[in-house]
Amino acid sequence: MKLIYEKSVKGRVGYSIKKDEFDGAVEDLIPEYALSKAKKELPEVSEVDVVRHFTKLSKLNYGVDDGFYPLGSCTMKYNPKVNEYLASLDNFTQAHPFSPLEFVQGNLRLMYELEEALKEITGMDRFTLMPSAGAHGELVGVLIMRKYFEDQGKSRSKMLVPDSAHGTNPASSAMAGFKVVEVKSNEVGNIDLDDLKAKMDEDTAGLMLTNPNTVGLFERQIQEIAEVVHSQGGLLYYDGANLNALLGIVRPGDAGFDIVHLNLHKTFSTPHGSGGPGSGAVGVKKNLAEFLPSPLVCNCGKYFGLEEPRKSIGRVKAFFGNFTVLVKAYAWILSMGNDGLKMVSETSVINANYVLAKLKKYYRPAYDRFCMHECVLTGRDYKEYGVKTLDIAKRLIDYGFHPPTIYFPHFEPYAQETIMVEPTESEGKETIDEFIDAMIKISNEAKTNPELLKEAPHITYVSRPDEVKANREPILVYKEK
Amino acid sequence: MRYIPNTKEQLEEMLKEIGVSSFEELISDIPKDLRFKGDLKIKGPLSEDELIAYIRGIERENVDFASLKPLVGAGSYKHFVPSVIKTILAREEFYTAYTPYQPELAQGTLQTMFEVQTHLSRLTGFDAVVPSIYDGASATAEAVLMAMRLTGKNRIVVSKLLHPQYMETIKTYVAPHKTEIVEIPYKDNLTDVNVVKDLLNKETAVIVVQNPNFFGGIEDVEAFSKLAHEFGALSLQVVVESLSLALLKSPKDLGVDIVSGEAQSFGIDLNFGGPYNGYLATKMDFIRQLPGRIAGETVDRNGKRAFVMTLRSREQDIKREKATSNLCTSHNLNLYAIDAYLSLFGKEGLYNLATYNIKASHYLRSRLLQTGHFKGIDYPFFNEFVVETDLEELEIKERLKKISVIPPLKLSIFFTGLVNSYLFAVTEIFSKDDLDRIVETLGR
Amino acid sequence: MAYKVVEGLYYSKNDEWVKVEGDIAVVGITDYAQDKLGDVVYVGEVTLGKKVKKEDTVTTVESVKAASDIYAPISGEIVEVNKAVISDPSLLNKDPYGEGWLFKIKMENPEELKELMDAKAYEEYRRE
Repeated sequence: MKLIYEKSVKGRVGYSIKKDEFDGAVEDLIPEYALSKAKKELPEVSEVDVVRHFTKLSKLNYGVDDGFYPLGSCTMKYNPKVNEYLASLDNFTQAHPFSPLEFVQGNLRLMYELEEALKEITGMDRFTLMPSAGAHGELVGVLIMRKYFEDQGKSRSKMLVPDSAHGTNPASSAMAGFKVVEVKSNEVGNIDLDDLKAKMDEDTAGLMLTNPNTVGLFERQIQEIAEVVHSQGGLLYYDGANLNALLGIVRPGDAGFDIVHLNLHKTFSTPHGSGGPGSGAVGVKKNLAEFLPSPLVCNCGKYFGLEEPRKSIGRVKAFFGNFTVLVKAYAWILSMGNDGLKMVSETSVINANYVLAKLKKYYRPAYDRFCMHECVLTGRDYKEYGVKTLDIAKRLIDYGFHPPTIYFPHFEPYAQETIMVEPTESEGKETIDEFIDAMIKISNEAKTNPELLKEAPHITYVSRPDEVKANREPILVYKEK
Repeated sequence: MRYIPNTKEQLEEMLKEIGVSSFEELISDIPKDLRFKGDLKIKGPLSEDELIAYIRGIERENVDFASLKPLVGAGSYKHFVPSVIKTILAREEFYTAYTPYQPELAQGTLQTMFEVQTHLSRLTGFDAVVPSIYDGASATAEAVLMAMRLTGKNRIVVSKLLHPQYMETIKTYVAPHKTEIVEIPYKDNLTDVNVVKDLLNKETAVIVVQNPNFFGGIEDVEAFSKLAHEFGALSLQVVVESLSLALLKSPKDLGVDIVSGEAQSFGIDLNFGGPYNGYLATKMDFIRQLPGRIAGETVDRNGKRAFVMTLRSREQDIKREKATSNLCTSHNLNLYAIDAYLSLFGKEGLYNLATYNIKASHYLRSRLLQTGHFKGIDYPFFNEFVVETDLEELEIKERLKKISVIPPLKLSIFFTGLVNSYLFAVTEIFSKDDLDRIVETLGR
Repeated sequence: MAYKVVEGLYYSKNDEWVKVEGDIAVVGITDYAQDKLGDVVYVGEVTLGKKVKKEDTVTTVESVKAASDIYAPISGEIVEVNKAVISDPSLLNKDPYGEGWLFKIKMENPEELKELMDAKAYEEYRRE
């Protein structure tokens, strides 16, 4: 498909600006050292061109509204339309962040009420809504840990991260200046408690843990884990990527976690937007609240205001947070209520176990035990037919599904060639059955007609783009020939 | 529940197929004493109409922003957003998709990333562009970390006229890395280039200058770049009002090494400060040190042009603690808006729009000065300027309220010495009549 | 699948090979390592003249979806770098034991060679 630059026609316009009635010329207003000699070479297209261009582009994409999108660890649930509408209300979208506080009492109330709801759902004492994404929340969390120990006059240099963790955990720890120490997983897919005991010491800030973990399993020994970390004065960090399994069932704050981050764009239904914006709210226990990023929203009785935590780690972005995302998350919580939230987790766990039960004969699971909200199958038995897990995933596209997450998590020796399926609560049994049927058909094709898989997908606009070429000879911008 | 298709009966049936008698059996891994007992004390469930009424009620506790025009900018600019943009952003194929991990199902996203990279390249002069990071402040902090990695040094010299919240963000990001931060003072609303030499030394990683600066001032960036290079440091230009790039020289031509910017001006609503869209641009030599997602062109197995995320081995999911950053989710949805906006305005339109902005702001400033209530020094600026006034803060607010204008930024909240100074932002949302009315209202 | 292992070379457990030429150790990665990585798209800079201790990270080799640190299999000074492989990383896949060599170390203590594996031991170590 053509680039917008390839549709450019000299002199064509797609804009309108009100009449310029002012005197003077830019040459008189901008010093010579700064004034560009030429206009910047952007495309020249009409409004019709632009609308058609993006409509065409959109048809090359696949979203949750198109069909099943079982990306494990991403919680691709339905994005309610009413939430989009509510977030687009003028007084939300047109609010300037430097407006006088009495102008934005509605915004502050919404943030305050959302915080209250998140506190109740997680069992934490205080939240910041500033972080823009899960990883941004992680950075806030580990910076809080860092500052907490500094404040006690005894900095700690290490951070424990399970080998199964998302890459963001070690990356965030490194950004906060910690040396990352990996904790092993055991043969049942949980943290190896002995390894944890051996590695947790008084120079270790704590452990970043996802629970259910990244293989979709509940950390059975979470209480022992918390005790090991706390006994050395460490802090336990909850990566909330997988909270969808636990709403109303377990609250991280009751399970010994000191800091949590939530992905409002996963569990709380706000759309992923082709890769954001999300929101990574961070909740802490009372003793850590004074380290939260500044400012926080406070209820000052008659009105809502802002407050600066005493020992704040500082800001991690300008202004307040991804406000319109917050509107959507809060609207979702209100739509669900207590019963709805519990139903979310119950349904997502049943859906995932149903996939596991139906497919484990065909795709040997990484661990043979009940899962939580997602299950980890593997494609390792098809290697002998020359079929990679990637080929299985690509073939699913031909059946009308977005592939699950593949090759994650990937740690030796337990998790290899992984296929991680997270159906979420948004899928009905019929959709899941269709997916299961497709997976079974593909398992047969892998044995009888592997070429069909290796050349898949067959129905898309492009198939198997050459990533090696893209990396070896990077072309990152368009240049006219 | 209308978002959850499976009925009770279907769930029962599925449990049977799984081979358990109850949901409880499925989650027997969870220790009993950890189970949350009772009900979460949260409002709801609300029906859709109740929900709309409730949230609209909250929305109405704000002032009626739709009818207000802000004279405040300071990193958040109210530009007119063409209707086309909302139409495009409402397409589910864009907003309900994930990060483009499967290129066959995400060419729309990937081509848009590539097009925005190209637009930003045309505006900045650089060929290596990261199109979407959370916002300008966090992108700037990432750029500083990048400069520290590239030089192996951890002393940074930053203009006092960098947006104060950007400065705070840098401080948070570099705090774990034993960084010395030196501020360059300003003079006559511009960063004082004459003192920079004394602040630089061989240990300096980078010099950070915002242009136009926080006061709207147009800096002589090239002078800062030259000084930086003399000391083996890098030159980082921060662009908060990216519309200015339509008129100003490309950062690359000013000897800049890295640009960090905020693209909110290109079709993104004010949104109470977020979501916005940060970006980075630099020379190809530095590409391995860039954080964040980048799209690249390639061909598919049939030789057709295709786009993929590329140079992925910089990223956290591959390099873990050795990655250039922890960035994962970015703000990609905004890229459709930015791509459409810059395509609609295009070469002539963006130039004309920026011209309107600079002329309108100069018009307002000169008219305000004529009233006698305002004074200020002359300096080159884009669409924001600083003036001092004898009017009380409350007085300004009350008077402007009557003509539906949000007051300018009172600078003393960031610059304690500037007691009666205000930062005005003027964009194309103001007609000449609007500006005359403001002058009339404040000039009395 | 059997990976190519060359007789007469020394091997580290990190999948580097060492070819001894007088007091110089030529270093590369094994066929097994290049296969595990997949198509190599980038070989990081190697600092000429740098003194390294055994097991120090020297550079990194990256494919589309993986990155692997390359360690010094032996202590010494880096005296030569294979510029060809940096500009064309595909050499690592095509000819890991030949044109795909990475760098040369002037050995500080050739005794350390004894701590490395011979071809037979390495073949055993990486048997699938």
